Amino acid sequence: MSVAAPTVDGARPRQRGLPWPQRYVNVLGPLVMIVGLSLFMAVVHPPYFRISNLMIILQDASLYMVLAMGMTLVITGRGIDLSVGAIAALSAVVMAMLIKDLGVSVGIGMAAAVLVGLACGTANGLVITRLHVPDLIATLSMDLVFRGIALVLAAGVVLSQFPEPIPFLGRGRVLDIVPMPALIGLVVLAIGWILYHYTPLGRYAIAIGGDPEAAMLAGIDVRRHKIYQYMLMGGLAGLTGILLTGRLNAIQATSGMGLTLHTIAAVVVGGTSLFGGRGSMVGSLVGVLLLSMVVNALVNLRLDFFWQQVAAGVIIIASVGFYSSLQAGPGTLGRRLAGLAGRVQARA
Amino acid sequence: MVTGTAAPMLEMRGITKYFGGLCAVSAVDLDLMPGEALAIVGDNGAGKSTLIKVLTGVFEPDEGEIRLDGKPVSIASRRDARALGIEAVYQNLGLVDTLDAPGNVFLGHELKRPVLGIPFLDNRRMAREAARVLQENVGIELPNLREPALHLSGGQRQAVAIARAIYSTDLRVLVMDEPTAALGPEETRNTLALMQRLKAQGIALIVISHNLEHVFAVADRVMVMRGGRRVGLRTTANSTKQEVLGLIVAALDEPVAA
Repeated sequence: MSVAAPTVDGARPRQRGLPWPQRYVNVLGPLVMIVGLSLFMAVVHPPYFRISNLMIILQDASLYMVLAMGMTLVITGRGIDLSVGAIAALSAVVMAMLIKDLGVSVGIGMAAAVLVGLACGTANGLVITRLHVPDLIATLSMDLVFRGIALVLAAGVVLSQFPEPIPFLGRGRVLDIVPMPALIGLVVLAIGWILYHYTPLGRYAIAIGGDPEAAMLAGIDVRRHKIYQYMLMGGLAGLTGILLTGRLNAIQATSGMGLTLHTIAAVVVGGTSLFGGRGSMVGSLVGVLLLSMVVNALVNLRLDFFWQQVAAGVIIIASVGFYSSLQAGPGTLGRRLAGLAGRVQARA
Repeated sequence: MVTGTAAPMLEMRGITKYFGGLCAVSAVDLDLMPGEALAIVGDNGAGKSTLIKVLTGVFEPDEGEIRLDGKPVSIASRRDARALGIEAVYQNLGLVDTLDAPGNVFLGHELKRPVLGIPFLDNRRMAREAARVLQENVGIELPNLREPALHLSGGQRQAVAIARAIYSTDLRVLVMDEPTAALGPEETRNTLALMQRLKAQGIALIVISHNLEHVFAVADRVMVMRGGRRVGLRTTANSTKQEVLGLIVAALDEPVAA
């Protein structure tokens, strides 16, 4: 009935700019889910909001924050990296063996973890740009390669008891309250935000993801920038390996199995488009927090552990379906919801 | 060589381009004066686009020579063309839909500002400069500069693409491929006015168009191509649409040495 009202002046009401609910839908969407979840938990299980539990949520979210920074950039560039969990494990195993078996100092061991990550990321980038293997297939295969090397190196052994600062980085509490890895994750995401908006790294990721041909015609070295994106992702996965080791003060070659898909889920929930060209570091932060809150809520409600996976899957489908319907045109559910929000805003 | 009139800014001499055994462009000459608008018309497959792509460095000619200000130049890539101040604007190619207007105008040559020695993108200055170029040189004001290009109209997109061409080089020759093909009447009027403004700034235009109405509205001369050859060259002031149409469909003909 009143649907036609906003478009009386022709086919392009968008020219004046989107109303803010649509502009920030990537952050608002998961935020609404966070609020909904919070209300539900407040009624059903108030201890959910104890400081100690909130800090557990942050602790859990920290690894995904670090990975989400790189993944936001990679996915914005119309890529995807399915090997980050394996890179984290391989980096951690190399670091662990250097420290425990070869007696290398902690600092050098940690540097080695990041370097291994960078090397793995570079390998990904080269396979994709030089061998012209699609990102998905390339990183899926490299996941096997990296995981395989980690298994060969560690041969099923659990390496544990690392010197400081590894345990502090992985599970330490600043002022006895705030998890150290969460601070690291937030700093990494803040750096990511700056990279995304204020450096060619982010700008060209948007350009390459939005229109690779246009990016090339503008003189951007598309191959080189894709390699940069995967290198950064790899380096961050190496850092994640350190945090992963510190969390339990132990590491094995099979660690970090679920990291990759969980990270991609969080980034996509945060509004970064799997079709490339569009992304948000803030959205990724909110996506990471939402997923960790859901997982923690399920634990608090004493639901079986495996329900976590079901919940994660449902959230991803709900989010991607919502964003897709926003793109698809009028009449779809997401459009209608966003339009409704816009009209509410316009009236206010 | 030098005639009584002003010397051409750009000369293409005997341009020939083969694709396999097919001769797409055959011994075509083209002169362009500063601040002039030259329209190239012809049926599909007449060789217009190929000729233009030779000029903008997409294709290398098999024969022929290009001179700028009387000096022979070699244009082997789009980068070469751009360095000489030759740019092309296509209807949809070249803009990244997910970037805003300033992002597109400065794509590939962003303005930077060092903070602690690190050159960060200066988004504020790019927005200011883009708005200025759009307003002063292109004559358009975008209602929302930070809107992704996806949400811009056809005319606005074209304005952004032209602003980019103006900013990325010391623009001397602007090639416009079907500039009015996808535009409504209002935007077509704006685009034609924009072409006049560019001419007034001394920028030479080469316009490929099927619309003789628009050609006669904006072009000083019309070059007619058919079968890869130049079959006619007319001054719009001394010609009619009927005559040009006759040349396009081969009802009239004239020797190549026009």
